[in-house]
Amino acid sequence: MSAAKPPRPPRWADRFLEWYCQPELLEEIQGDAYELFDVRCEGKGPKAARRAFVWDVLRSFRLSTIRKITIQFSPDMYKSNFKIAWRNMAKHKMYSSIKIGGFAIGIAACLLIALFILDELSYDRHYPETGRIYRVIGEMTEGEFAGKGVDFPAPFAKALKDEFPEFEKVARINPNSLFTGGGNPIRRAESNQNTYEEGFTFADQELLDILQIPMVYGDPKHALDEPNTIVITKRKADKYFPNENPVGKTIIANNNTDKPVKIGGVIADFPPNSHLQYDFLITMKGVEFFPGEGNNWEASNYHTYVLLRPGTDLAKLEQKLMPIIVDKYLGANLSKAEVEQVKRTGRIYLQAVPDIHLHSADIHDGMSHGDIRFVWLFGAIAAFILLIAVINFINLSTARSANRAKEVGLRKTVGSTRGYLIAQFLSESLLFSAFSFLLGLLLAWVLLPYFIQLSGKSLQLPWFSWWFLPSIAASTILVGLLAGIYPAFYLSSFKPIQVLKGKLSKGSKNSGLRSALVVFQFTTSIVLIIGTLVVTRQMNFILNKKLGFEKDQVLLLQGTQTLGDKLPTLKKQLQQLPAVDAVTVSDYLPINGAKRNGTEMWDAKKEQQGNSFASQIWQIDYDYLHTMGMKIVAGRDFTEGMRSDSQGVIINQALAKKLNFTQPLGERITNGYQKLTIIGVVEDFHFESMRENIEGICLVLGNSPNMVAVKLHSDNLQKAVQDISATWKSIAPSQPIRYTFLDDSFAQMYNDVKRIGRICTNFALLAIIVACLGLFALSTYLAEQRSKEIGIRKVLGASVGSILGMLLQNFLKLVLIALVIAAPLAWYLMQEWLKDFAYRYQIRWDVFVLAGVAVSLLAVLTIGFQALRSALSNPLDALRSE
Amino acid sequence: MHRIHLGEFEELVLLLVAVLHGNAYGVSVMEEIEQQTGRSVNISAVHAAMRRLEEKGYLRSEWSEATTQRGGRRKRLFDITQAGRAALEQSRDTYLKLWDQIPGFAPKTNMA
Repeated sequence: MSAAKPPRPPRWADRFLEWYCQPELLEEIQGDAYELFDVRCEGKGPKAARRAFVWDVLRSFRLSTIRKITIQFSPDMYKSNFKIAWRNMAKHKMYSSIKIGGFAIGIAACLLIALFILDELSYDRHYPETGRIYRVIGEMTEGEFAGKGVDFPAPFAKALKDEFPEFEKVARINPNSLFTGGGNPIRRAESNQNTYEEGFTFADQELLDILQIPMVYGDPKHALDEPNTIVITKRKADKYFPNENPVGKTIIANNNTDKPVKIGGVIADFPPNSHLQYDFLITMKGVEFFPGEGNNWEASNYHTYVLLRPGTDLAKLEQKLMPIIVDKYLGANLSKAEVEQVKRTGRIYLQAVPDIHLHSADIHDGMSHGDIRFVWLFGAIAAFILLIAVINFINLSTARSANRAKEVGLRKTVGSTRGYLIAQFLSESLLFSAFSFLLGLLLAWVLLPYFIQLSGKSLQLPWFSWWFLPSIAASTILVGLLAGIYPAFYLSSFKPIQVLKGKLSKGSKNSGLRSALVVFQFTTSIVLIIGTLVVTRQMNFILNKKLGFEKDQVLLLQGTQTLGDKLPTLKKQLQQLPAVDAVTVSDYLPINGAKRNGTEMWDAKKEQQGNSFASQIWQIDYDYLHTMGMKIVAGRDFTEGMRSDSQGVIINQALAKKLNFTQPLGERITNGYQKLTIIGVVEDFHFESMRENIEGICLVLGNSPNMVAVKLHSDNLQKAVQDISATWKSIAPSQPIRYTFLDDSFAQMYNDVKRIGRICTNFALLAIIVACLGLFALSTYLAEQRSKEIGIRKVLGASVGSILGMLLQNFLKLVLIALVIAAPLAWYLMQEWLKDFAYRYQIRWDVFVLAGVAVSLLAVLTIGFQALRSALSNPLDALRSE
Repeated sequence: MHRIHLGEFEELVLLLVAVLHGNAYGVSVMEEIEQQTGRSVNISAVHAAMRRLEEKGYLRSEWSEATTQRGGRRKRLFDITQAGRAALEQSRDTYLKLWDQIPGFAPKTNMA
């Protein structure tokens, strides 16, 4: 049967040819191809002939043969298109304003977030040699000291320079407050009034060479050459030396009149998008923080920056670093087993300077950085808000298709082509997009100050950057087309006969897609709401968690080391104030940014075996535990008058557990220099951010005079502060008092969490507003569509309640589906976020219920107004027209 | 006025249209190229060349009667125009002139 049929060329290729080929060329090309096919069938068989046919068709696909796309560029047509679009817009004010308003909100949100992201990405790209500047990172992958860090021993930089020709320059900085980096009181040599300044660091001259920060005064090559020189920023120079060249003048830091520092140069301020933010660079020349430090490989306090020679193979260099440093330098102090272990589990690598800001979340460098994950998160949020707005546009356009259907039918009848109609609808959506962008820009501009506060960044709209307006224009067109393309194709596809006969059921067609889009909108909104709730709860969890110390009503006096011998007097006088409970002198406080002193320690009996552990050693005085409200769970506190207590130590429970003593009291531990006897165990208290577990800590008696903590018990804080100020004034008249409250400093540790919480809240709000706007318009429209049906139902005896229920349930169903999708998604995402915290809020079901109820309520309120209006309307009004 | 350039392949096609004299269309020209020169070309290349030649005014075309062959489609039959003939002659003359100037080469046949 089939053998009788002559073979035919492949149908698809034939149709493809017919589709692309210009009609006047088609007959010739197709005819020749057919003829060739027949000839080849006889010669080589049908299979080969088919293949050859396809090849011929494909080869004939040339610029000269393809159908010309017929777009008529007549300005009149566009004028008419836009005029009709404008009339349509003006006629349906409510829908138009919802479309435009929602769009504008989405665009404004996107713009602001884009500014934020651009700023995050711009960090540390401004140095002339940015591409060759790196920060050195040390990493241990296992063991007690696992983690990444940037602190290296003092001679490390020189070793790098000596051993590896790949390094053109190597520089160290030491911003550690242990060595008076951080904040210090300073004054001009001829003044005696101190001012407290922050942003001190020690630095090598090479740092200036590597970064090449522009110099305002002084010689960039030799500004930090000599001992006791300092480089300050322009803003500090303007503050202390207004209108003069400060180079060569001297300032006194920390009342240290024996060692005035000479200003070697003034650099331009570090821009806000630099990870280094210092105002005072003190030279490292001739500085040793303890005798022999220059050759000491055991104390690591230096951040090390390098400038690579051009063309260096980074991977190769990184491989060599650790082995050579260990063999030639580090190994001398280690046992053979330790050398092996360091070589196996440790590595030294280089981090490109532009990566520091966003890719340092797991690196301990004592700086606060951005986080690449938030860049992604915010980017995603912006995209979703815009998407929600685009969906509104699509939904409203297609829902109102019934109204446009007649127009389409008529236009087609009088000779409009589909292409023309598509152009018409796309112009309409472009017009909407243009209005939305204008409004969005305006909105972004108005909201910018608020967003600056929210994000903690100094941002501005780059109106005058060459790329800004063109990219806005391009986005206008892109978004306009994106939002318009589906409605345009959908609306232009109506068949005139059916439409004019009234066959197209009003707006109900395609409700499947519309429902899916609504579900998507609400899923997104619910995820954002749940996210916001979880972030807020985690925040509250942290702020209210039992900390192991009392953070309330503790006042911290800062810079007290400058009082010198008068410090005990201050303490005594403060203790006598009626509002004061207790006073302690110690720099070591359980808040981030206070002094820290991590050390390697050993169980005294096992020191020779090399089993070291990491611990903090904090110097405190007799009143510390009492003032901080910490609890002794075994043993005792330090007792005044017990001489042996100077060799005693109080450890925390975490350390006790790690040491694994059956009875820790009386056991001895050592840091290599000094053997300490455990006299007490203090209950664990959080001294770092809750992102981390509580580590071991040793409290010893000692003098650390930078800070005084005062526990108050007064209801009248103001009076208490006044009294304390007066006491301070009487003791240190030349120095202004500086104080903070412990709970404030504590809350500051979680500023970033708070910020994320606030940003999430705001954008979740925006998302839900846009989604609800869309829902409102959609429900209004559908209620209008069903007004006749409602009228008939009422005539037949339906109650207001049942009609209301009928109108509501359609949408509530969608919201419920969205909730079902959103809940597990949000749960998973938030679980991931919470992994950052060692101490975290356990997500409970009530979060989901709360989000679900809130969204349902919002949806009901949004729809309810319209639904009620339709349900209450007089059926006569709806029915009398027919 | 600039002279219209005649490509190598175009010249070949033009020649063959003249040779086929009244029976020149896509397939016949293509087959003729294969037979006479041994060159295997795609039909689309022939079409393109003939289209260009027609635009240049060297060829003209008309539709044949429809037959049951080719799915009932007509052939577009090409014929050389006066301008085409002139172009061919000019090309030949140029070549001959150049050949004459090569010492030790003589044309095989005298075509003049």
